[in-house]
Amino acid sequence: MSGLQPSPTPAAGVKKPARRCAEVCLELLCVESVRLFHEKQSGPAAAAALEAVGFRVGQQLAERYTRDKTRLGDTLEIIKFVCKEFWQALFKKQVDNLKTNHRGVYVLQDNGFRWLQRLSIPAAGSDAAREEAARQIALSYLHLPCGVVRGALCHLGVSCTVEADPKHLPSCTFTVRILA
Amino acid sequence: MKMGITCVAFIGPQNNPMYLRSMDPATDDHYLKLHYIVHCALDAVEEKVLLKRGPSDSQDVYLGLLYPTEDYRVYGYLTNTHVKIILLLDDEAPIKDEAVLRVLRRLHSLYVDTTSNPFHKFGLPITSPRFDAQLEQIVALYPRPGASLGGFTT
Repeated sequence: MSGLQPSPTPAAGVKKPARRCAEVCLELLCVESVRLFHEKQSGPAAAAALEAVGFRVGQQLAERYTRDKTRLGDTLEIIKFVCKEFWQALFKKQVDNLKTNHRGVYVLQDNGFRWLQRLSIPAAGSDAAREEAARQIALSYLHLPCGVVRGALCHLGVSCTVEADPKHLPSCTFTVRILA
Repeated sequence: MKMGITCVAFIGPQNNPMYLRSMDPATDDHYLKLHYIVHCALDAVEEKVLLKRGPSDSQDVYLGLLYPTEDYRVYGYLTNTHVKIILLLDDEAPIKDEAVLRVLRRLHSLYVDTTSNPFHKFGLPITSPRFDAQLEQIVALYPRPGASLGGFTT
């Protein structure tokens, strides 16, 4: 313990550095919230509740992350903002692939979704039932981030639905359908 | 003595008033008048947004002077989440855009911090006393007419 020294107090007039929190806290919180909601309610109701929590968080994050940004124009710019800056701030990387059918459907692909990193993946070549079970578990953890993305998009003026598809863990696609 | 900023208003994405505060003590009639001016300002905001839809125009959050009324000058600011911040100034001296922009940016930061409160309800009026107090502090930083501009850091 002799090696530990108290951090030096900042000089007068210097701004105190922003307080930070270990990322594992967020991971544990996400995992625990999924478990808690599924304990209190059955399947679809728990999913809807988690999505609603994510929606609220998404709205707040949209406010915060667009604060210093020039005004975003159309829907495509907003989606690109979500893929780049929003994803970077939230998941420490950008979306790897963005596809659109130009008719209001956007597919965001993330190879290595951060919030699913800790999920154990069935070994390659294991039977379909096991893979399906893993997929179902992954889906239950994706309600929260889907809600966050939907909340951010709706708050920026893009009314939509967001669905997640964990095809090959840990890569995951999010399908955004713009509501007319 | 003429104050600089007389009124601050936050309007939500559906043009719902979220906060309107007169910096001078005001009667109900006066508040009605302020509401009316802010409401008209929203039309001016929409006009400016439509005007700026040029292909190469970068769209700013700061909309500048919206329109002058007989008593006040109205400045606007539009965030990415379609929240409008309207400022009514009572100043007859030539106004520096940077000073107004600084105040608006700080108000935006205050709004972002307030919405991060999990008890805040989006779309409903903001009733937090802390919000009121911090807003007063920010407004107090705007240089009063006649005072020297100095020591204003963002």
